[in-house]
Amino acid sequence: MSDTGESKVCLPGDGPIISVEDVHKSFNGLHVLRGLNLKVMANQTMVVIGGSGCGKSVLLKHIIGILRPDSGRVIFDSTDISELKEDDLSRVRSRFGMVFQGAALFDSLSVLENVAFGLRRAGKHDEDQIREIVLDKLRLVGLRDVEDKMPSELSGGMRKRVGIARAIASDPEVILYDEPTTGLDPIMADVVNELMLRIQKTQCATSVVVTHDMKSAYKVADRIAMMKDGVIVESGTPEEIQSTENPTVSQFIRGEARDAVEQHS
Amino acid sequence: MIADMTESLISVIEGAGRFTRFSAAAVKGLFVERPGRRQMVPLVMEIGLRSVPVVLATGAFVGMVIAVQIFAQLHKMGSESAAGPIINISIVSELGPVLAAIILAGRVGGAMSAELGTMKVTEQLDALRTLGADPVSYLVSPRFLACFLLVPLLTIYSDAIGVLGGYLMSVRFLGISDYHYWHQTRQFIQRWDVFVGVGKAFYFGGVIGLICCYKGFMAEKGAEGVGRATTDAFVASFIAILAGNFFMALFFNNLYDYLYT
Ligand SMILES: Nc1ncnc2c1ncn2[C@@H]1O[C@H](COP(=O)(O)OP(=O)(O)OP(=O)(O)O)[C@@H](O)[C@H]1O
Ligand SMILES: [Mg+2]
Repeated sequence: MSDTGESKVCLPGDGPIISVEDVHKSFNGLHVLRGLNLKVMANQTMVVIGGSGCGKSVLLKHIIGILRPDSGRVIFDSTDISELKEDDLSRVRSRFGMVFQGAALFDSLSVLENVAFGLRRAGKHDEDQIREIVLDKLRLVGLRDVEDKMPSELSGGMRKRVGIARAIASDPEVILYDEPTTGLDPIMADVVNELMLRIQKTQCATSVVVTHDMKSAYKVADRIAMMKDGVIVESGTPEEIQSTENPTVSQFIRGEARDAVEQHS
Repeated sequence: MIADMTESLISVIEGAGRFTRFSAAAVKGLFVERPGRRQMVPLVMEIGLRSVPVVLATGAFVGMVIAVQIFAQLHKMGSESAAGPIINISIVSELGPVLAAIILAGRVGGAMSAELGTMKVTEQLDALRTLGADPVSYLVSPRFLACFLLVPLLTIYSDAIGVLGGYLMSVRFLGISDYHYWHQTRQFIQRWDVFVGVGKAFYFGGVIGLICCYKGFMAEKGAEGVGRATTDAFVASFIAILAGNFFMALFFNNLYDYLYT
């Protein structure tokens, strides 16, 4: 899986690598996921869109097993991860990378240590190699000479990109991006879009991207799914989504405020 | 009404269960994944070194105030010569450990619950899990160990300076004879008293570490969540220290009777 920059041919796998089946999740009586179903094919990019607070971040956390469903199943590579014990889960998680909405950088560690965190724990590389990899990943997200800074010294957009570098540091098979372009200037947003595409092409990675940024969605998506009221209300290729007849979806992707207040209530 | 009470009773029991599991996981974490130097060194610096001034100040004042109070009482009865042992036993087995623990719960415990609470609400704990680290063994086990080992050490410093403060106050300012002070102290104070004080300090250290980390991990979203976690952590540690001190006093007295009489 060396990062040569050449595109391999990444064929979509024959079955879904991630399959969320009828998942329900409540927090203190707040029913967030209400029987959600989602299938993600291997080597594809699934974009999830939906209103603020509808549970997109919660969905991503179920896919990587940080949250467990109240009922329903989350299947990853034919294993039901909602049943796994924490030890086995952490082995499954090593095949994932996750970009958090608020970056979630470790405050007490430098940028280098943040990005190196997973690599060091995996213990497959020596310190020199780790440093090389870290600097390389930081360059990929457009950051130079930041490795010795602390997260508190970075701007919001820089933190976000360090978070991306950390998620992709160990070349995971599946990458979950929670609003990767939010808070970035348009040029950096496009750098991140290109990066997501490139990772998918060069490493045949599977990605799930949560975003509000429709430009980014159309650019990176193989499929787009729209979430509302705790379920996926529509999913399809970007073309299908763009020409949808479903008023909720078309209103969302065009960003129209008409009737939105009523519809949200 | 009764339903409310049952409900709150259930939530107390659930909370106790969660805390017990959390504590067990923290202790287990010490063996599963031995805390590395990278984690321990900053903690030892923060807890062990930076707390020294405040602990010494507490110890000195405790020693001096006890000397003043006890001297005043004994003076009325004309038995000042008993001051030495009473002052020193109070310092070494009661007030030294308890007050050092309380000051450390405020200083170290507060900082820990605020730090971990912030990590919780900014999803850093989740991020640890996605990177293959267990937050309890990565964050809590080393903090528990540091508190468990360093609070007794700091208590010994505090005791030492307290004993010194008590001595200076009694002998230099209140005019008890130097010879009597130490002679009586040596006669009545035993290794046991020091042992009890330090034994308690291990409990205080462990309980401060566990409670403050637990409250941090339970912090709820938002800045107020972290603030609340910090206050809760301090109050809970305070109660655990004082209640634990009481029960340990009973326990150690019984143990003493069992061993020596
Ligand atoms: N750990 C948690 N405890 C309690 N409630 C939670 C928790 N995580 C999420 N929620 C609640 O679940 C709902 C969905 O949250 P989520 O973060 O998934 O929304 P989102 O779709 O990602 O929104 P946004 O686009 O604003 O990021 C919110 O009402 C939130 O308050
Ligand atoms: Mg979100």
